[in-house]
Formats: sequence, structure tokens, C-alpha cells
Amino acid sequence: MNRPAPDALAARLAELLAQAALKNQRAFADLYRLTSPKLYGVALRILRRQDWAEEVLQECYVSIWNHAGNYAVQKSAPLTWMTSIVRNRSLDWLRRPRQEATGEEYDIAAEAWQDDSPGPMEHLLASSEAAALARCLQQLEGKQRQSIMLAFFHGLSHSELAGHMQQPLGTVKTWVRRGLERLKGCLGAAAGT
Amino acid sequence: MATYRDPQLRDRLAAEYVVGTLRGRARARFDALQRYDPELRRIVAEWEARLTPLAAAAGEIAPPARLWHAVAKRITGAARGPGAWGGLAFWRGLAVTSTAFVLILAAFIGVAPRPEPPMAMVAVMNDDRGQPALVVSWPPMKAMRDPYVRVKVVQEHPVMAPGTTWEMWMLPGAKDAPVSLGLISTDSDQTMRLRPALASRMEGAWGLAMSVEPKGGSPTGAPTGPVIFRGQCVKIL
Repeated sequence: MNRPAPDALAARLAELLAQAALKNQRAFADLYRLTSPKLYGVALRILRRQDWAEEVLQECYVSIWNHAGNYAVQKSAPLTWMTSIVRNRSLDWLRRPRQEATGEEYDIAAEAWQDDSPGPMEHLLASSEAAALARCLQQLEGKQRQSIMLAFFHGLSHSELAGHMQQPLGTVKTWVRRGLERLKGCLGAAAGT
Repeated sequence: MATYRDPQLRDRLAAEYVVGTLRGRARARFDALQRYDPELRRIVAEWEARLTPLAAAAGEIAPPARLWHAVAKRITGAARGPGAWGGLAFWRGLAVTSTAFVLILAAFIGVAPRPEPPMAMVAVMNDDRGQPALVVSWPPMKAMRDPYVRVKVVQEHPVMAPGTTWEMWMLPGAKDAPVSLGLISTDSDQTMRLRPALASRMEGAWGLAMSVEPKGGSPTGAPTGPVIFRGQCVKIL
């Protein structure tokens, strides 16, 4: 695996965004090549349908192309900026009426963030960008972690979470809320603030 | 709206916005709140910084090749310059990009040096390459004795050729004749006073355009020089 280190990748993406703002199509193609597998994964997990994920991602990249110049005024890392665009568009898409699942869904179970499912957590721990976050997630109660992960990765709403986890709505809401509070505290402590 | 001032609630809503459990109308309302609340934007950005690395660290899935072809087709189309003044195809595309862009630009408008009433409408004025040049916004004009619009330069300030001025025009509708709003200065953030008679018409403004005119403004009352920026108006309040 010959991957650039996270900082080097961030610097490269920032440079490509700057080039894209100048309407450099080759730079934009590089930006697409470096980011689309990540962003497609993000959209597909939330939307659970290929055709929707493609449609949303197409809009997102056109938007990133049109507004790349705006990135400079954002204070976040390039990938965070781009990921937030994709997440927000995907969640907005789910807001549209009559977006019923049709059976082609991405299989949630394949990647369920169960209490002691080692796969995804190990993957996260291995990533230096997300390692602190992954450690803090491990300190949460299993149900808190699972509900946050299902909401974050798969775009499950509170009521979908309640259905998926077969728990009352109020219980699930509390898990998410308490989990997020603890996560913030843990990350603050990890950063030494 | 007092509840939105509770710091704990704000933090919780921001977290749920980013994690994605804030949905439907609550999410739309929160989106609207963020536009005028830079502090709330900052709280959201902090949560994005906390949680988003997780998304990027999860497994990658290569999209089908047709996705890039679709994107490439659209960006090469967008890079081409638009046609003449009032080209309808140009306006159609603009409506979509501007609306999305308005959301991103809201942070700009929110960061006002002095307290200001919330803005009711905004127009992002793009140059002929589709690049945003100016953001024009204005508060509700009802009962306003001293109507004005705010004009902010988005990127570097455009250069006015010697002996020329730039005149801003309001288009009441897609095919209506432009109405002069006045001349802009070279300040990167300016307030442009309007004639009181214009106040009521701004609420229904459809688009804005900027033309290059001789010193003192258009001698005819209609744009005489080239139109350099244009943008469609979007109601945000």
C-alpha cells in the first residue's frame, strides 16, 4: 500500500482544490481520483442505493468544482470540507418524500457496529487520523457506540435506529445524546484541553 | 427562539446535525439558523472536525467509471462562457448553483462588523465564467425608512477601468427591463443606499446584474455597457 501520509494528503488536496478554483480540469480529475472512493463510500452507506449515491456524488463534485475557490475561507481540512458536503447532501436527499428502500440496499448487517464486532473498529484504530476518535468510541457503552455509528455511517434516523435496535425511541435518543457528550469529553481530554 | 440560545442545546443540536440524527424539518430549521449565526457555524465545524475523519477512515468503495464521465461532462460545460445578456440557459443553470452557493456564503453575511437586521434576500453575482464575484444581500424592506443593500466582494476586488463606473440593476422578472439601483464603489464591503421608491420592489426582485457604464452612470436609464456580473435573487427569510 503506497498511501500518502494524512498530512501530505491534506496538503495535496488543498493544492488541488486551489487549482480547481482556477478551473484547472486536470487538477480536478486528480482530486476526483484521490477522493471519490472515500466519498462514494460515505454516500453509499447513507443512501444504501447505488443510483442515488451516484446522483448525489455527481451533484457534490459539480458543486465542489463550482465552489472550490470558497474552500480557502473554510477553516477545516480539505477532506472534512468535502465529506461534510457529501454527508449533508446525502442526508438532505433522504429528506425527500417517497424515498423508500427497494431491496437494493447496501447491507447494513455486513458492517454492523456491534458491541464487539472487531472489524470496523480495528480498521479505524489503524487509521492515524481517526485513532483518537476510535479510542474514545471504544470507551463508550456498546449501545451508545452502536447507535452513533449506525446514525453516522448509515444515515439512520432516531426512529430507524429504534427499529433496527428494537428499543424504544426515547432510549435510543438518550444513547445517542449521552454517547456524543461522552465522546466530546473524551476527545477534549485526549487533545489535552 | 429563546431555546436556541441555550449553549447546551446548541451543542447538542450541532452534534446531532453532524451525526445525522437531526432530520426533516428540524434539520432544515437548523440549516437556516446557521446562516446568521457564525458562532453556531463554528460549533458545527468543531463537530465536523471531531466526527468526519471517521467517515474518511471507513472502507473505500470505488464508484463506477460512468460517474466521472458524468461529472467531467458537466464541468467542461460549466467552464464555457455564457451567451449574451439575458441568455435563458445561463440563468437556468445559475439558479441551481447560486442556491447551493448561498448556503456556503451565509457565513460571510453572518459575520457583520456591526449588529444588523437579518437579511431577507441574497443574490450571488457571478462573472461570465460562473465564478462568484459579489454577494448582495438586503434586510426586509417593509417599514424601512432608509433602504439599502449590502455588497460584499467575494474574491479579489474587480478592477474598474479609468473613466468607467459600475451600475447595479435589479430585474423584477426574467424578461422585465432592468431598474437601476445605483453605482457601486471599490470598497470590498459596502452599503448601497436605495431610493425609497425601490424598497417595495426589492422584495420581489428576480435577479441582479452589473454593467459597465460611463462615469456618472448610464445616460439612458438602461444598461449601455457590457454586463459583467449577474445573479438570481434567493429569499432566505
